[in-house]
Formats: sequence, structure tokens, C-alpha cells
Amino acid sequence: MEVRGCVTPKICLREVRKQYPARGVAEATTALADMSLDIFQGEFVCIVGPSGCGKSTVLNMIAGLVEPTGGAITLDGEPVLAPGAERGVVFQDYALFPWKTVRENVEFGLRYRSKGRVPKPERERRVQHYLDLVGLGGVGRKYPHELSGGMRQRCALARALANDPQVLLMDEPLAALDAQTRLVLQEELLRIWGEEKSPEERRTVVFITHGIDEAVFLADRVVVMTRHPGRIKNVLSVDLPRPRGGAVRTASRFQTLCDEIWQMIRDDAYAAVADG
Amino acid sequence: MTARLSWLRPAAVPVLLILLWQVAAAGSAHGRAPTPLHVAQAAWRLCATGELPFALGLSLSRVFAGFVCAAAIALLIGALMGYFRDVGRNLDPLVESFRPIAPIAFLPLAILWFGTGTPAAVFIVAYAAFFPMLINIVHGVRSVDPRLADAARTLGVGRLRTLRSVVLPGALPSIFLGMRLGLGGAWTSIIAAELAVGAKAGAGSSGGIGQMMFVFYAYRVELNGIVVCMIAVGLVALAVDKGVRALQRMMMPWAI
Repeated sequence: MEVRGCVTPKICLREVRKQYPARGVAEATTALADMSLDIFQGEFVCIVGPSGCGKSTVLNMIAGLVEPTGGAITLDGEPVLAPGAERGVVFQDYALFPWKTVRENVEFGLRYRSKGRVPKPERERRVQHYLDLVGLGGVGRKYPHELSGGMRQRCALARALANDPQVLLMDEPLAALDAQTRLVLQEELLRIWGEEKSPEERRTVVFITHGIDEAVFLADRVVVMTRHPGRIKNVLSVDLPRPRGGAVRTASRFQTLCDEIWQMIRDDAYAAVADG
Repeated sequence: MTARLSWLRPAAVPVLLILLWQVAAAGSAHGRAPTPLHVAQAAWRLCATGELPFALGLSLSRVFAGFVCAAAIALLIGALMGYFRDVGRNLDPLVESFRPIAPIAFLPLAILWFGTGTPAAVFIVAYAAFFPMLINIVHGVRSVDPRLADAARTLGVGRLRTLRSVVLPGALPSIFLGMRLGLGGAWTSIIAAELAVGAKAGAGSSGGIGQMMFVFYAYRVELNGIVVCMIAVGLVALAVDKGVRALQRMMMPWAI
């Protein structure tokens, strides 16, 4: 793991555990066992692992949507107890409000959040900025069901970004898209994140994915998890230069890293497939 | 059938039934059996004198008054029951034990509390409309995708605001279904209520379509008039339901 001197981590997980109690015939399950991880300001961290390794649970706990059974999660040293605007989430199934237009979806946080609501003129300016940023400038009046999967995910990203969070939590955001759209959005995500900026200016991103190549392409560090119980197997630093274009994918270092990660999880992945 | 005549299609079955009715009534030995022709004459007379529209208007106004009261309370309680699990758990037994009590069973109490006029009728109507709405609102709130509420919460939106701006709009399809069932129940019960308190004719009576039917039955012994009332009740219910559906389409443009 990278050594960062005495810098305080942005997000800190200390021996975080999640158990689900026994229910009827089902035994109690440990979704996550004693996970410790530091994530630093401006870092892009990807968490990969087979189904059932608890990676989504980790994300939901950082978001404040799921309460850990044990351990502590802090953001800038403050314990995480509930969801908050400083931790934006992009969900796999987009979770857009179907009764609101694209524009109203993006505007939602700025308009209704408990703290720091933004007045209308400023709100409209910001919404337009983020719609343009994700390439949805022309479809603000449409409803989510009128959009393609890729456009919905752009809308969900714009909604999270417009609320100006310090941390962006993304739960398999590209998993439901076709392969080509996924490649395009990976590159766009890095552009929007601002690869050329300094870590202080960038948002901290925690990105959950099944895709090893996706993780290597996007991340500064890849956290590899295994299952039964879910825990960290290894943390790899991705030393590919930024900004990364499509050409990175063919670099031999890229292939080596992907293969290294695959070797770490392949037994688990086979077992996960066998379990169904 | 050509496209130009296709609007006739929904009328085909009713027309056939009316013809059957005419034939059956004409063949009956009973002199008093209402026939479509006599019913139509009675309908014309009752409309011309204004009796029928007035009675319908009075009943409808009671239905809407009761419905609005019930809807306001059902929306508040239903939203809380659906959204806050503890509230739901505590109120469920109460709801389930009151729900099977027919609205008309409250009539003696309603008359005792409110007299035989409009307030008693409005109470009965509100009671009848309340439970179908409550059950559907609770169900609707509970079946809103929890991810939507999560999304709002992670945008920093508070719990009550999330209920108002995410959960209730998400539950609108069920809320509208509850409104349609509630209005149906209200309309059914107002007639029963007016029938039951309608023993008094003329001044001091409760009025309304149910009372009109009672008068035809008990005082004027005019079966044609009763059939007119029955048909009117059905047509009004149909129109009200169409109105609610139109409102739903207007309020939920995303669902079309």
C-alpha cells in the first residue's frame, strides 16, 4: 500500500464489520469481516471482487445508508452516521426520479437538501453547466424513461455532481450498459473527474465494479476483495500515467495489472459462479 | 365494422340488453314490471322537473365533502404508516379491526351524533372512502423503490422532505387507485345512507338520490322511477371515475 506520510485520510474505515442476523432457516451471514482502508483526498479508488464479496455493502456504509455492525467509518475524522450531501452516490440502476425531467432530477439536491439550498438563478446556471458537462445539454426537458441507458447514467452522474459532493461513491454505475457505451463513459468519467487537476482540486471517488479492466483503467488504487466472508485480499497501486486515453488499454503494463488482479480473484470468481 | 362506425362498438352490448329487457318485460304477466320505454319516459319527466339533477347534485356534494375529508386524513396517516415502520406496526391492528365494519353499520351512531341531515351522511361517506384509500396509500408508499428515497437522502434531503418529494410522488399510482376505490365506496354508501334515513318525505327530509329512491319505493310505489335512479347512479359513478382517471393522466405525464 502506498505510504502517504502523516496525511489524514479523507475516508477511513477501521475494522468495519457487517453481519446480517439469522432469519428463519437462513444462518447469520457475515457480509464483511473487519475491513480497514484509508482513502485519500482526490484519490480514485476502485473496489473489485466477485459477487457476494460485500463491495456494495462497503459503499452503502460509507454513504450512510447501511449501518456497520462493528468498527468505525470516518470522513475527515468525523464519524459517518447518516447519509449526507458531502457524499454523493451514483447507483447502478440510476435511481432517477421517473416523475421529474432530466433537468429537475439534476436540480433535486440543490433545491431540496436540508442545508445550503441554492436560489433559482444560481441553480439553473449550475444545472446547465453539469448537463453540458455530461453531454445532456439538449435533453433537459425529457423524462428519464425517454433516455437510453447511457444517457440515464449520465443524468445520474450529473445529479450527483451538481450537488457538489466532496466524495463520489459509485456502485457499479456502468454495469447495466453495453460494452461500447461502457468504454466511452469510462473515458468521459475521467475527463469529468479532471485527471489533469491536482488531488486537492479533485473529488475523491470510490468506484465499485465487477470489471477488472475497468478498475485498472480508472483507478489510482484497486482494492481487491474476496468472499465468505467479504474482506480485502490486496490493494494495488495503478502506476499508469494520467491523463489516460484509450491507448492505455493496449499497454503491456495495463495487461499485467489486469492479469495480476485476475489471479487474485479467479478461484473465488469460479466459486461464485458455481454458487449461482 | 368500419372505422367510422367503431364508436358504436361499446354501445352494442347495452343496446342488446335493453332490447332483451323490453321483450322480457312485455311478455311478463306482471303489469307493473318496468319496461325500457316507461323508464325512459320517467327519466325524461324527472329531468324536466329538475328533481333528478337536484337529488344527484345534493348526493354528489355530500360524497365530495366526505371524500375530501377522508382523503386528507388517509393521505396523512397512510404516508406516515407506510414510511415509518413503527407507525405502521402500531396502527395496523386498529385499521384491520375497523376496516371490515360496513359504513352503514355506523348509521345509528351517525344519526345520534349528527342528526338525519347532511353531516351524518358526510360522516358515513368519509368512513366508506377512508379505508380503501388508506390501504392503497400505505401499500403505495411501501412499494416505492427504496433506492429512490436513498438517492434523495444521499443528496442531503431530509426525511420528511424525502417523504413529500420522492415517496408520495412515487406512490401516486396507488394513491389514485385508492381514490377511485374510495370514491366508488363513498358513492355506494351515500345511497345506502340516504335510503336508510329517507323515511321522511317532504320538508325536513335528508334529500338526495337515495332518499328519492326511498320515496318512490315506500310512498309513490313507482318502480320506473327507481330504475331511473339506479341507472343515474351507475352513470354518475362512471363519469366520476373517468374524471379521476383524466386527473391522473394530467398529474402523471411521465407515466403515459
